[in-house]
Amino acid sequence: MAVMQNTSEKSKWYLPGIFTGLWITWKHMIKNIGNKEQMITLNYPEEKYEYSPRFKGNHILTVKKDGAIRCTACMLCATNCPADCIKITASEHPDPHVEKYPISYEIDMLRCVFCGFCEEACPVDAIRLGPEWQTPGLNGANFTYDIKQLAYRPGLKGGVQSVVDDQERLKSGI
Amino acid sequence: MSEVKYLTEFYHLPEFKGIEGYKKNGGYVELGKALKMQPQEIIDVVKASGLRGRGGAGFPTGMKWGFLPKNGEERYLLCNADEGEPGTFKDRMMMERAPHQLIEGMIISGFAIGSKKSYIYVRGEYDESINSLLAAIQEAYKAGYLGKNILGSGFDHDMDVYRGAGAYICGEETGMISSLEGLKGQPKLKPPFPAVQGYLKKPTIVNNVETLAAVKYIIRDGAEGYRKYGTEKSAGSKLFSLSGNVNKPGNYEVPLGYPLKDMINVLGGGIKNGKKLKAVIPGGSSAPVLTAEEAMKATLDYENLAAAGTMLGSGAIIVIDDSKCMVECLANLTHFYHHESCGQCTPCREGTGWVDKIVHSILSGKGRLQDIELLVKVADNMKGRTICALSDAAALPIISFVTKFRDEFEYFVKEGKSKVKGTAYKGHAYAATASH
Amino acid sequence: MQQQPLINCTINGVALQVKAGTTIIEAMYENSQKIAHYCWHPGLSIAGVCRLCMVEIEGNPRLQIACNTVVTEGMKVNNTSEKVKDAAKWGLDFHLINHPLDCPICDQAGECGLQEQYMEFGKYNSEMAEKKQKKHKVVDLGPTVVLDSERCILCSRCVRFTDEVSKTHELGIFNRGDHAEIGTHAGKPLDNKYSLNTVDICPVGALTSKDFRFRQRVWFLKDQETVCNGCSTGCNVKVYFNKEGVFRVKPKRNDAINGHWMCDEGRDIYKFVNKEHRMIKGHKLANGVWNTELHAGAAAKDAALSLQGVTGNDIALVVTGQHTVEELEAIVSTFVNTYKTKNVYHWWNSEATASEFDGILLRGDKNPNTKGLQQVFAKHGITTKFSDLDPSKVKHLVVVGPENVPVYKDFTAKLEFFAKASNLIYMTAAKVDSLVANKNLAVGGKTATIIPLKTFVEKAGTFVNHAGVSQTFKKVTTVVSEALTLVEAAALLAGQEIKVETLNPKNLLVAANERADKVTLDFRKKNEFIFQRGKL
Repeated sequence: MAVMQNTSEKSKWYLPGIFTGLWITWKHMIKNIGNKEQMITLNYPEEKYEYSPRFKGNHILTVKKDGAIRCTACMLCATNCPADCIKITASEHPDPHVEKYPISYEIDMLRCVFCGFCEEACPVDAIRLGPEWQTPGLNGANFTYDIKQLAYRPGLKGGVQSVVDDQERLKSGI
Repeated sequence: MSEVKYLTEFYHLPEFKGIEGYKKNGGYVELGKALKMQPQEIIDVVKASGLRGRGGAGFPTGMKWGFLPKNGEERYLLCNADEGEPGTFKDRMMMERAPHQLIEGMIISGFAIGSKKSYIYVRGEYDESINSLLAAIQEAYKAGYLGKNILGSGFDHDMDVYRGAGAYICGEETGMISSLEGLKGQPKLKPPFPAVQGYLKKPTIVNNVETLAAVKYIIRDGAEGYRKYGTEKSAGSKLFSLSGNVNKPGNYEVPLGYPLKDMINVLGGGIKNGKKLKAVIPGGSSAPVLTAEEAMKATLDYENLAAAGTMLGSGAIIVIDDSKCMVECLANLTHFYHHESCGQCTPCREGTGWVDKIVHSILSGKGRLQDIELLVKVADNMKGRTICALSDAAALPIISFVTKFRDEFEYFVKEGKSKVKGTAYKGHAYAATASH
Repeated sequence: MQQQPLINCTINGVALQVKAGTTIIEAMYENSQKIAHYCWHPGLSIAGVCRLCMVEIEGNPRLQIACNTVVTEGMKVNNTSEKVKDAAKWGLDFHLINHPLDCPICDQAGECGLQEQYMEFGKYNSEMAEKKQKKHKVVDLGPTVVLDSERCILCSRCVRFTDEVSKTHELGIFNRGDHAEIGTHAGKPLDNKYSLNTVDICPVGALTSKDFRFRQRVWFLKDQETVCNGCSTGCNVKVYFNKEGVFRVKPKRNDAINGHWMCDEGRDIYKFVNKEHRMIKGHKLANGVWNTELHAGAAAKDAALSLQGVTGNDIALVVTGQHTVEELEAIVSTFVNTYKTKNVYHWWNSEATASEFDGILLRGDKNPNTKGLQQVFAKHGITTKFSDLDPSKVKHLVVVGPENVPVYKDFTAKLEFFAKASNLIYMTAAKVDSLVANKNLAVGGKTATIIPLKTFVEKAGTFVNHAGVSQTFKKVTTVVSEALTLVEAAALLAGQEIKVETLNPKNLLVAANERADKVTLDFRKKNEFIFQRGKL
């Protein structure tokens, strides 16, 4: 591929260009110092950008009113997952109305492609992709999120409640 | 035509209940006569008499007997006295007033079909009928009409009374056979028909109380004598149980072909409290309802009522006057069939529950307009899709109620209250979903 | 034999000839035509209650059920008309109105009769606006089965099974109408040796197996047919597995052997196949120390070295009837030909009870191939008795142990007995910790080798059942990849080399002259996960 090169005489006069650029930089710097609110950059990591709640970031497992995990371990998310990153172990719940629940729910964040198919597949609004996007970790194991991290990590403040109401569901006979 | 006293000739006599009084009034004469005949002769006479089953289906009795295999195999005669059809109470009167009439008819029928053992399956609630039958059977045994070598003819016959436990479905012949066998009272798959494989897998004939009692009179009067009453295709007389909003409800024996109009106005003494007739259910709760105009034209025989789109059934005439809400009437029926469905076949088990829930949601004011159409659709798909006729029995009234009184249903859905009464439903507050 | 007269009929426009007495549904099944049904099962009596197999018979205005209508001469049947389709649709709707929507947590989802029939014949929106009927959930019916009454469609298959096949009569339908429920009588739980068949024949998720419950979704499993090695009946079974192991066993219809059924004992045979119960590495004891990290092949080669030059009465072989005919032939002929000995003994745990039979399927002989072993012995003229074996006299004892250890009641005692040999070579698929921990072995300069073997699901072969019927089966899956089959182990013991079977490049999926990334559609289809479930 040919590269277009500007070899004209005019292009040798580069200093005006540099000064124009520096002037713009100075202008913005002074403006920002004078009016911090209008500044469009952030002082990351001290300041963080809040994404829309609809952003497809880290997964959240929702909880019921009593704080127990909403997931029924139907494994539809795992079935639908194109990256094969969800691993669920189901077990019998003591309450016959709940019947089935996950005793382990693991998502391998490094495999996850954040496509949101799990969210779409879920019949009970048990998994959502949340706005969190920073996933630091020291080694591979740190990226395998378990129930504790998915449902009760500190950022969720005790869990996100699902919109499915069990009492309502049982009453309406579904 | 007027009311006749053919089967019920001596019913007014209290002594007719005991064997002495019964014999005094012509009892057990025909038994002696019949035992001297050939069994095939009796079947032929019954066939010629045109006697049809009085229990509901109206199947020719002689023809039914003819289905039995012609061999010496053990066979049973069962008398269906599980009178469960809402509105019917004729068998009860026959068993209480004239138990010997039934017993004599049964011995003759048993002789005709070659059965050495018969059972009378009586509805559990009929305490008095059971006692009267038990006493009568005891008397008949003592008098030698039952047991070994009856009247020196060499014919043995034993009879027993079996008390049902109050399930409507046990009035269906195969359901009754299941119940009698000690199983859950659920109808059996046909074929094989009971005449080939019935009680204890032996050939079995099941007949209604009134049918079996009539056999005695066919023997007495011959086929032609029996045909004195009734029409060409519906021969003989029949007992009708008249109930509902009439002045004089009760059992009336009339020849078949008797006008329904006269039944209500003459024998029934007209509608109670001077109200107007609105609808008539002519053959027990399973029969499609007739409007007042249709009822005025109808005559009480198998053919005419079939032509009017309903059936003679068990002969229970339920009269409904114009102060009654048809939605509430239907709710009563759907609740009954929901409760009585045996739960074997899916369309009936789920369908009866479904229509009951729909009707009750209309009553509670939560109905939707499409529910009315849905009722007909569900009923249509219950009809003819099950082992026995219970789902037909549940479906036919629904279809006729909704199509003939559609305006009342629509009014109830739209206004949440009855068109006739102008009030919301205040019926007994049972929930359609509650388990019983 | 007298030829039965055949009856001509036409079903969906196809002219057929069927035997007299065939019902329409059987005729349709024999000719692989589709018909909706739940309550009909070829191994049970006709109930005629689901009312789904409606067909239209020419000349009959009413629809008839195909399961209770016998084909008559010249009968014209169809189940593709609009009338029949509508009846099937409504039949399904009646089944579904009170059926809970808990498919996501229902174990049957994926192999459910209702789901299948709905996709085939239903596909509509429910018109039911009222509440569903509430019934009991998670009812404990017995030691093996859990009932969910709400899911039950009351097809009565399970009731008929306990009445007609197991003849134990535990189950019944209680109550009437739409609150009817399956249940057991007080004090008589569903506890018989065939109870799990009720789970197989349940067309919905009402009856679930306690053993399999919630362990896997069925669409994650593949299945392969094989022969049960639980007893000498040799039931044809399907083994369900995935990469994590084997999860369950279900019967496969074979009218000559097991009909439609299998026993509950046989369903446990998958358990000893899975890794946690398996001998994974070769073990070798030398100078009182166990080397537990030996490769199976290396262990076998070591064993072969220790047997070099040994012949005659110094060496003996013990085999069980738990291995295929091919394997037994290989190991016995190795001993007869290479080691020139006929000291081959048959370790038969259930000789005393071998002739026992419960009248249905279960037999007293808990080895699948006793007959096959006897045939191999007869071929090589071996007539030894196990009671004559004295491990302390034979220096080198080679034992091919059973894989289904739980049925060998005196297993540990026998291991002690074998451990008396100065050089014990034990080949096993099952984990034998007791042998490794055995203190008798670790003294007196004894040597021992344990060679891990493959189980019956990991190899192809033949079992000869009690009646002498030889049944060949294919490999199902691989659980412990480095374990050897007995054929391989025999070859190594004979001092031969074995080769790992590699695919010929010409037979590989991509032909040599084609682009490497071109995959044919055929292969893609094969590679796709196709869940094969049997007919209802």
